[in-house]
Amino acid sequence: MTGLAAAGRLLRRLLARRGAALSLAFLTVVGLAALFAGLMPLDPLRQNIAESLKPPSPDAWFGTDELGRDILARVIYGARTSLVTAFGAVVIAALIGVPVGLVAGFYGDWRDSILMRCIDVLLALPNILFAMALIAVLGRSQGAALVAVGVAGIPGFARIARAQVMALRQLDFVMAVRGFGGGPAYIMFRTILPNALSPLVVQAIVLASIAILLEAALAFLGVGVPPPTPSWGEMLRTGKSYLYEAPSYAVLPGLVLTLTILSFDTIGRALTAIIDRDETDGVRETAGGGR
Amino acid sequence: MTKLSRRQFCMTGLALGGALSLVGGLPAGAQQLKGGTLRVAVLSELANYDPQQLSTVNFHVIKNLYDSLIEYTPEGKPEPSLATAWTISPDKTSVSLTLRDGVTFHSGTPFKADSVLATLQKGADPKRGKNVFPTMSIVKDWSAPDDRTVVINFKAPVPERQILDLLQFLLPIDPKGIDMVETVPAGTGPYTLVSRAVGQGLRLKANPKYWRPNQPVMQDLVFTVFTEDAAATAALESGAVDIVYGGSSRSAVRLKNGGYQVFAGPGPLVQVFRINSTRGPFRNKSFRQAFNHLMDRASILRVGYAGMGQEVALPWAPASPAFDAAYTKTYGYDIEKAKKLIAASGLSADEMKGWKLLVNGSDEASVSISQIVQGSLQKAGIPVELDMRQGAEYVTALLGGDFAATFGAVGNVQKFPSRVATNSIYRTSGNPVLKDPHPHPDYVAAIAKVDAATGSAAEVKASYDNLNKVMVEEAFGVPTNSYDVGLIVASDKIGGITLDIDNLLVARTIGFK
Repeated sequence: MTGLAAAGRLLRRLLARRGAALSLAFLTVVGLAALFAGLMPLDPLRQNIAESLKPPSPDAWFGTDELGRDILARVIYGARTSLVTAFGAVVIAALIGVPVGLVAGFYGDWRDSILMRCIDVLLALPNILFAMALIAVLGRSQGAALVAVGVAGIPGFARIARAQVMALRQLDFVMAVRGFGGGPAYIMFRTILPNALSPLVVQAIVLASIAILLEAALAFLGVGVPPPTPSWGEMLRTGKSYLYEAPSYAVLPGLVLTLTILSFDTIGRALTAIIDRDETDGVRETAGGGR
Repeated sequence: MTKLSRRQFCMTGLALGGALSLVGGLPAGAQQLKGGTLRVAVLSELANYDPQQLSTVNFHVIKNLYDSLIEYTPEGKPEPSLATAWTISPDKTSVSLTLRDGVTFHSGTPFKADSVLATLQKGADPKRGKNVFPTMSIVKDWSAPDDRTVVINFKAPVPERQILDLLQFLLPIDPKGIDMVETVPAGTGPYTLVSRAVGQGLRLKANPKYWRPNQPVMQDLVFTVFTEDAAATAALESGAVDIVYGGSSRSAVRLKNGGYQVFAGPGPLVQVFRINSTRGPFRNKSFRQAFNHLMDRASILRVGYAGMGQEVALPWAPASPAFDAAYTKTYGYDIEKAKKLIAASGLSADEMKGWKLLVNGSDEASVSISQIVQGSLQKAGIPVELDMRQGAEYVTALLGGDFAATFGAVGNVQKFPSRVATNSIYRTSGNPVLKDPHPHPDYVAAIAKVDAATGSAAEVKASYDNLNKVMVEEAFGVPTNSYDVGLIVASDKIGGITLDIDNLLVARTIGFK
């Protein structure tokens, strides 16, 4: 089966689950809105103080903030901030965490001990505290937030990759490649990694939701992306001061944030369930074939 | 027993009702107030107990632990406190004080002239004098002819109002505790310290030897520190505290509409867009002057301070003798005028960029109003980024002058005009932002002229007018609005609120109705 066909099959199985289908639809809408925000007649920075803190209306579906800016426009542009941070963080975490896990799991000797102790140190640091410390060094910007969240995600990838390698490295197909003279790098990246992708994809999705939440938390604490760049966390931070006058200011961005995280989480869980079922079926098939 | 007819009963009831409503309508201070424990929510953790390091973070404790030599009424009229009388010499080069008898410090030490001398000595010390030090620049020397008299001599004739401001700013410290005053309060005030939990609050109890009769009304005073304005107001609404002190204008407006008592004192702060004129494009006078017209003051007041305050183009509260409303109109928000001044500066587009607007990220009002200015600058063709810093990081940058431009409030704006120089951006020497030598000699000369104007009313007014003109022309500080600091929001069971000229919390007269 080709990769495309496998992906299509996976998507069909995902869409067969109602929760996952709804989540995917929501994330698609958010993603498309963020991607094509520039084509919409919305300006997240245009101030109109005479119209500040207005409730939702046909002119401003989500109402306006304290500077009279359209909250819907800021939510849509804020999605860019969140999704870019999530994507960037996943890339950073995967690019560092996966090779570390592969090397540690493949060799299993002193390299494993050293790399895993480093990962343990990273794991011991609370994510938010570590991210704040990193931002204090790098300065407050989207890049800094992205790096901070990405570095915080490295241990997850490293541990999953290591576990996968340790489970696969003694299997026949790996031994066969070794017997044909495959080098360590070839075996790790061309033989083992493709077979360990499923849990890593799930981890990427889980990390994306954590990254969005962490970025929002950093912005809420005042160390995220600096204003006036729209950010969901920043909207929550400012909006909480206006809960009495304009509840929609904090509630609607909060709702979008919650649904986005929930959607990522739901898809992650659905994928895990599908992979687990495949593995169980695989075991059954193997067991059946042996009879 | 005399029987009342229905008519007599009704008339008596009406009379009693009328009398009760009359009592209810009396000023709170005139009513019989009950003691107890006053629970106050505050929004800041105090820095220390030194009354010469006066800042908004310790506004809630200073006037409860210490007394001034003299006090001002909310209208600005001087009245005796620890000094029962003061006599200014005809040539205005000295003032003689008569000190109150029968007063003791919290330690039991009698209040005498030696404590005033020790306090003056500390204030005149450049390292220990803190906020009082700039005010002491007019003082030549001092002496104590006897235990109850202190004479302060000035370097030159000093306007009467400036002398009174000095006396009001001096809060005598116990000589025995003066070296430890940052950590252990050493005053004569109505309350004494019981305990403090850093970051949580502090507890004071009534000073049993306090000299003002029948004060303090409350036996205990408990401060709780809240980091969030919303949490403090929620505590008031739930009955967990009796007063919120120093909350936001926005909350005060909301709570007032909800039936709570709101008290705004006569000593507001003025928000000033501080410009570091030693850096980049800000060395250019015309470029700086453009900022007078780039401040959308109406929006700043509305968004940042819920409309509570006043638009100003000069660093004076309306009560200041130098206040001139005409400047607010002349230097109002006008992008086109700003653009003309920017063009007249001769700076290229590149020269005008490359600086960031420092923002106190811990202060929501500052974040909002900085974005308003950012929007105005964008309209004028100057894109700038915000440099958000939190808490101590921001204060370090602000007081160290490590910024190109930032918003920062200034105080003493309702007193003698040269007192504005107690604020870092307006200091005439040792200015942490503009450094020495002061890059605006016209401003330094204008302050000196105000200090020297002891003659006719016309001479005094001319010195104020000159200072105002120099301030807007030099434009290293561009005021935007006055706003209330130390707002008191109290439940309806609280009475006897005394408004302080500096908006400090004066708890000694507060009681339960």
